[in-house]
Amino acid sequence: MSSDQRDPVATPIGRRRFLTTMGAASAVALAAPARGRAQAREVKVGYILPVTGPLAFEAQLALNGLLLAVDEINGAGGIKSLGGAKITLLPGDTQNKVELGNSEAARLIDQGVTALIGPFSSLVAFSVRQVTEKNKTPFLLLATVADNVLEGGLHYCFRMQPNARAMATLTVGNMIEMAKSAGTPIKRVAIMHEDGNFGTTMGNHVEAFAGRMGYELVQRVPYNLRSPDFTAELSKVKAARPDLLLISGYYGDSKIIAETAAKLRIGVHALVGLANAAYSNPKFIAENRELTDQLFDGNYWHNPQSPRARAVFEAYQKRYSATMSNHGVQGYQVVFVLKDALERAASTDREKVREAIAKTNLADHILTQDAIRFDDAGENVNATPALLQVQGGKPVVVGPARFVEAKPVFPVPKWKG
Amino acid sequence: MTWLFFQAVVSGLLLGGVYGLVASGLSLIFGVLRIINFAHGAIMMLGMYASYWLFVLVGLDPYLSILVTGPLFFALGMLIQRIVIEPNRAAAEHNQLLLTLGVALFFENLALVLWQGDFRTVRVWYSGASFLVADVLVEVPRLVAAGGAVLIALALWGFLRLTDAGKAIRALSEEPEGARLVGIDVARIRGVAFGIGSACVAVAGALVTPFFYVAPDVGESFNIMAFVVVVLGGMGNFLGALVGGFIVGLAESLGAAFLPGSLKQLVVFGLFVIVLLLRPEGLFGGRGGR
Repeated sequence: MSSDQRDPVATPIGRRRFLTTMGAASAVALAAPARGRAQAREVKVGYILPVTGPLAFEAQLALNGLLLAVDEINGAGGIKSLGGAKITLLPGDTQNKVELGNSEAARLIDQGVTALIGPFSSLVAFSVRQVTEKNKTPFLLLATVADNVLEGGLHYCFRMQPNARAMATLTVGNMIEMAKSAGTPIKRVAIMHEDGNFGTTMGNHVEAFAGRMGYELVQRVPYNLRSPDFTAELSKVKAARPDLLLISGYYGDSKIIAETAAKLRIGVHALVGLANAAYSNPKFIAENRELTDQLFDGNYWHNPQSPRARAVFEAYQKRYSATMSNHGVQGYQVVFVLKDALERAASTDREKVREAIAKTNLADHILTQDAIRFDDAGENVNATPALLQVQGGKPVVVGPARFVEAKPVFPVPKWKG
Repeated sequence: MTWLFFQAVVSGLLLGGVYGLVASGLSLIFGVLRIINFAHGAIMMLGMYASYWLFVLVGLDPYLSILVTGPLFFALGMLIQRIVIEPNRAAAEHNQLLLTLGVALFFENLALVLWQGDFRTVRVWYSGASFLVADVLVEVPRLVAAGGAVLIALALWGFLRLTDAGKAIRALSEEPEGARLVGIDVARIRGVAFGIGSACVAVAGALVTPFFYVAPDVGESFNIMAFVVVVLGGMGNFLGALVGGFIVGLAESLGAAFLPGSLKQLVVFGLFVIVLLLRPEGLFGGRGGR
């Protein structure tokens, strides 16, 4: 098959990758006869996700969301302005590696995708964005949080989710607002963050906004993700007597930090995750019911007030026998951003689709924000994380005020010294 | 400030005991085989999975699982030595080093395939147990881990001093050629040493499971520190490794409490470099305790 020869991926091929590639190749083969006939019987959309490798679990959850959305669109008659053209998803696996991200993106662009979705890791996004810019292909970022991914005057790159800055400042803002209305204002804030790119960025934002948002940053503790003990770090935090402890970390470290904080009687009003990988994670909550009760987390989420969100969650539950995760929500919604643009563009031409995405003003969505709109840099101007609190073994939205589904418990009695 | 100091000392000592046991195994293997075993952390990870599965499937307490994982990993260690390392004894040292690195990568990826990247935790009734001594927090599972580590390390030290097999191991580590000449089956003793080292680290794994998590790359949390400890205590020095473990645990904990940012790592590795420069034989190298 000619597409195989043009395949720029020259890595050893594992079983799964082989299947993925074969799937893509056969999709092209199936599509080939249609090319001569009526314009656009299908719209090819590529995804590049780390579906194998260290992020495979999360990537699969996002992919589930993509598939759910595509099937919903195709089942409801496809893209109407294109005469009911169906969306065909072409797979790409990055294994969370920069070089694979590039080559998979190039391969999919070569196979004629109208747009690309992905790639999870900010590091991979940094690299792939050059491929999509060069090839003038719309690139919808998924689960990519680093602020500077969209810097440098990009034309084809768009991000629906909140970036690190929005995630950090809006979460702290939501927390401060909520505390004020609960009658226990927050004056002293401490943050513990992992010392990689993700945590450090969050820490920088919390530090930068300290004066402007009216709180004092009394302790900032970067930590090594793999450290087996955080007692000394948390003791240092305790000695600084903060009202609030923010934690930006991954799964294992965040777990041990919460456990140790509880035992140390850390004495804060609340423990708040910043885009924390554990604190609103259903699996973590299920395994640590007592510990997680009343933990806060600022994260991307769905709007619990939206009837459409409820329907989507039901459909997801039925199809995958699991609760839809926040990555699934992002995956689902980003497909509908593209669908909306395709309807308005009435074309599969990449340039026209880019124009349409740039003019997006999508109010019918399932996120905790106002209409989805992009600024010149490609950021969603209204992107907002939800403020969540674990109540009764489940994360519920307690902020921003217009999306709340339950009253927050604040201050949290169990963290008191 | 005094509270913070004592809290840091206590948590540093508790962590140091575990570092000490992990490093003891590594040090023993180095002493006898003269190879740096990069697979040590990966073997610890497998030991943690063994304790995890024994708990989940059979309901065996992680501490009791030592009775199973100890002998099991002794056998596994002997097997690794017999199959992978012994045939390459004649090869250059860096080749043997790469060999153990290969074993580590193999085990880590095997774990990834078998059990995915999920974090798993063992929740036993004493997982959350803790008490305060004059406001200083002591977590029971960490105390048990540190205490158990010291006991096991001391028992092994006794074994090396008092039994024939132990004496053969020491003889081999001090004078390989002489040991061979007096009729010690050196190939077998090398296997036994690797087996004991692996059992040590599997036991250390079982001891930390109640307060830690299990994941395919979890061994890395302890592995690098163990290397620092071994150098600090003197390569091949068994008791030195135990003492070195406490020193590193303390340095890390006090560094975290009193230095800004991630400087605690700097303290530990700074110590590492200084010892290498000033006392390359280690703090306790060249003296008794082998």
